[in-house]
Amino acid sequence: MLYPDTVESEVIVHKPWFITAMFAAILACFLALNLTGTTMGELMRPVIGDPVQSGFYGRFAIAFTIAVIFCLNVVLIGFAPLKLQIAIVWLELLLLFLAFFETFHLSLPFIREKLPFMITQGVVTTLYVSAISIVIASAIAILGAVAKLSTNGFAYAIATFYTSFFRGLPLLMQVYLIYLGLPQLGFVIDAVPAGILALSLCYGAYMTEIFRSGIQSIDRGQWEASRSMGFGFGLTMRKVILPQALPVIIPPTGNQFISMLKDSSLVSVIGVWELMFLARTLGQKTFQHMEMLISAAMLYWIMSICLELIQSRIEHHYARSKVR
Amino acid sequence: MSPDTIIQATNVAKWYGAFQVLKDINLTVRKGERIVICGPSGSGKSTLIRCFNRLEAHQEGDITVTGVVLHDKMRNVASVRRNVGMVFQHFNLFPHMTVLMNCMVGPMWIKGIKPEAAKKTALQFLERVRIPDQANKFPVQLSGGQQQRVAIARSLCMQPAVMLFDEPTSALDPEMVSEVLETMTSLARDGMTMVCVTHEMGFARAVADRVIFMNSGQIIEEGKPHDFFTNPQHERTKLFLSQILKH
Amino acid sequence: MRHFSKLTALAASLAMALAVVPAQAGAVLDRVTAAGALKVATDANWAPQSFMNDKNELDGFDVDVAKEIGKRMGVKVVFVTPGWDIITAGNWAGRWDMHAGSMTPTKKRAEIFDFPAVYYYTPAAVAVHNDSKATKLSDLDGKVVGATTTSTFEAYANQDLVLDAAGAPPFKYEFKPKVVKSYSNSTTAFDDLRLGAGVRLDAVVSSQPSINDAKKAGYPIKQLGEPVFYEPLAVAVERGDPEFKAKIADAVQGMKTDGTLSKLSVKWYGTDYTVVK
Ligand SMILES: Nc1ncnc2c1ncn2[C@@H]1O[C@H](COP(=O)(O)OP(=O)(O)O)[C@@H](O)[C@H]1O
Ligand SMILES: [Mg+2]
Repeated sequence: MLYPDTVESEVIVHKPWFITAMFAAILACFLALNLTGTTMGELMRPVIGDPVQSGFYGRFAIAFTIAVIFCLNVVLIGFAPLKLQIAIVWLELLLLFLAFFETFHLSLPFIREKLPFMITQGVVTTLYVSAISIVIASAIAILGAVAKLSTNGFAYAIATFYTSFFRGLPLLMQVYLIYLGLPQLGFVIDAVPAGILALSLCYGAYMTEIFRSGIQSIDRGQWEASRSMGFGFGLTMRKVILPQALPVIIPPTGNQFISMLKDSSLVSVIGVWELMFLARTLGQKTFQHMEMLISAAMLYWIMSICLELIQSRIEHHYARSKVR
Repeated sequence: MSPDTIIQATNVAKWYGAFQVLKDINLTVRKGERIVICGPSGSGKSTLIRCFNRLEAHQEGDITVTGVVLHDKMRNVASVRRNVGMVFQHFNLFPHMTVLMNCMVGPMWIKGIKPEAAKKTALQFLERVRIPDQANKFPVQLSGGQQQRVAIARSLCMQPAVMLFDEPTSALDPEMVSEVLETMTSLARDGMTMVCVTHEMGFARAVADRVIFMNSGQIIEEGKPHDFFTNPQHERTKLFLSQILKH
Repeated sequence: MRHFSKLTALAASLAMALAVVPAQAGAVLDRVTAAGALKVATDANWAPQSFMNDKNELDGFDVDVAKEIGKRMGVKVVFVTPGWDIITAGNWAGRWDMHAGSMTPTKKRAEIFDFPAVYYYTPAAVAVHNDSKATKLSDLDGKVVGATTTSTFEAYANQDLVLDAAGAPPFKYEFKPKVVKSYSNSTTAFDDLRLGAGVRLDAVVSSQPSINDAKKAGYPIKQLGEPVFYEPLAVAVERGDPEFKAKIADAVQGMKTDGTLSKLSVKWYGTDYTVVK
């Protein structure tokens, strides 16, 4: 929440000029689209007769109806208390979304049949590849951040080279480089470790910056107090600075994890059977790829939502020492 | 150097780039002595006491603390720091730890004392600064004066040979100043060696063995509190005192 | 079938830049016999050659051929599914021993791979929408034609197809489109074609089996005329182990003579693609 005023201002969606403008915009929008040939046209049949024959009158009637429903909806929601507003809007968007999927005429039995395998093989692989990678990436990030903040030229140079290089290359390229390049040096690594390595190195580079700014956000006074008590660098870092930097670091790290979850699909190019790989292969034979893609999309979404929830819990946990 | 010398600074000079913050400082602090340093803002008071536990490095002259010479290649700086307590203007408590933990971590991590023993000491010193009942709160839940007293207790838990105070009351609301000063006074009465940068002249009069006046990086006047306040020698000192005692 | 894509080129140049170490004579064969397993790379997304079946296992013509080769060599077969780009980049580093994935044995690829045996030919054909007014291939002159990007089909549509593969039969260009649209795979091209004749596409050049499959899946499309060219497809191994190569060649030859190969083709395609008509 932003900083709310204590004086309630008039609800914008109840101002006549806003409603008028919104109505006009929606009307124009749907007039431009010809919806007579769609389900909408069928629904309006009692009013406009045969939708295909109805011409401009039919088009206008449809657009008008949609605009009225939309504005009414918005105005009514405006009366609801905040929590209810949020719930209603979520629900409506979700329904619209489902209606959109409905238009694909997906085969639900096929989805039901493939879903268990997508979860036991795909989701599990995606999750463990991402989870291992984020742990390694965090370790790299701590080292990288400390090196970047250090006065040791050697460490600084390595850290800046590393972040610049791995942030500068597309992740897909890194996956190829590691999978194909490492065998040249005598390390033949399998697809899964190669994928984990690529993800860790890439995200480690991004997270180095997150950790660096997190560490820098801690007041100098904490270092001074620590040092004046005789704590060494490692102790100060582990016990004083990092625990305080975590609340700053965790939200963007959560974002990184969510985006890693999806970027882990790139390791499908080296033959890891994770969710994206299965989404592309399972429905291919029977031309039911849309089913699989949408199921995978939903699974990714659900995983992200879970991560968001976990993230907010952790944030909540760290907010504890801030309450007065 | 006599054995009861805690801090000895001879001909100390320090620069920030081309700007000289400390010029030819000579100062000896003996065991049990209470020294108050005052002077206008920017005169180098903080810098000087921060040199005593080597939060800052000096470039010329010698500083010896508890018999150890401070220099930039020293290996045992931690052993000096654990003997020198420091209280900051902005408390610098560890906000992610409870008050009790703030007081326990020093002995535990530096001296390797067992948690139970550390807790006992911590509670004892929290009692000493009269806030044992706040032990399980987090620093932000305490008032400024209470936080500063916790900071003092935290330093005391390390059982230092000397305590350095850098304007401990200047970030506090007026009604909280006295509770901190009382704590400091009682410390002084118990014989703690103290170097305090402060403008609390009442405290200086009551407690100090010596008052030192600094101006642009130099010690320009030094004396017993009575002489210092009633008969200042230097023009700059007179001006400074007239300004802070005016109100 | 699928030629060098951009990523393949990238991956290949990467592998080449890092000095290709050829396999030692007999080394691959020794490894395979010692392990008692033949590691076969194939695509999991290339029905009906290789795909995931209802039991979520790899299945298809290529998969069956690979299994049969393994059987004849007396070892079991293990499949891995790296991306096409990774496979064609070469430099397999012992991660897998053989590729059974409908690779066209081009000259360029022959620099990296040995092709022990051509095991079938894919007829390339042209698909149009059921409502299409075209009756013969030359009706597509000046029309919009789609094909998988950097494939031989696209090259054919652009009239710059080079079939330099060993054993490729001759062909001629039957039509000259106005625009050739590239797609990431044949399915997306069919998706555009199904929208209607001439809506986004007038025709798609693709493999005959893929056209048949799309038809079976209910796409409103049909094949126009005869196949336009035949592409030989081979098993690939890394260069440098003639003994291993000979073993595989023997196995495939055996399958040809005793009719197993033709039977597999009929099983998967309904026709015998192992010989050119
Ligand atoms: N890190 C620094 N870099 C440069 N100049 C500094 C730094 N710290 C302090 N100074 C300068 O040194 C002088 C003395 O500072 P300080 O010791 O904090 O004064 P005081 O505590 O007496 O107010 C001031 O002029 C200040 O601007
Ligand atoms: Mg100061």
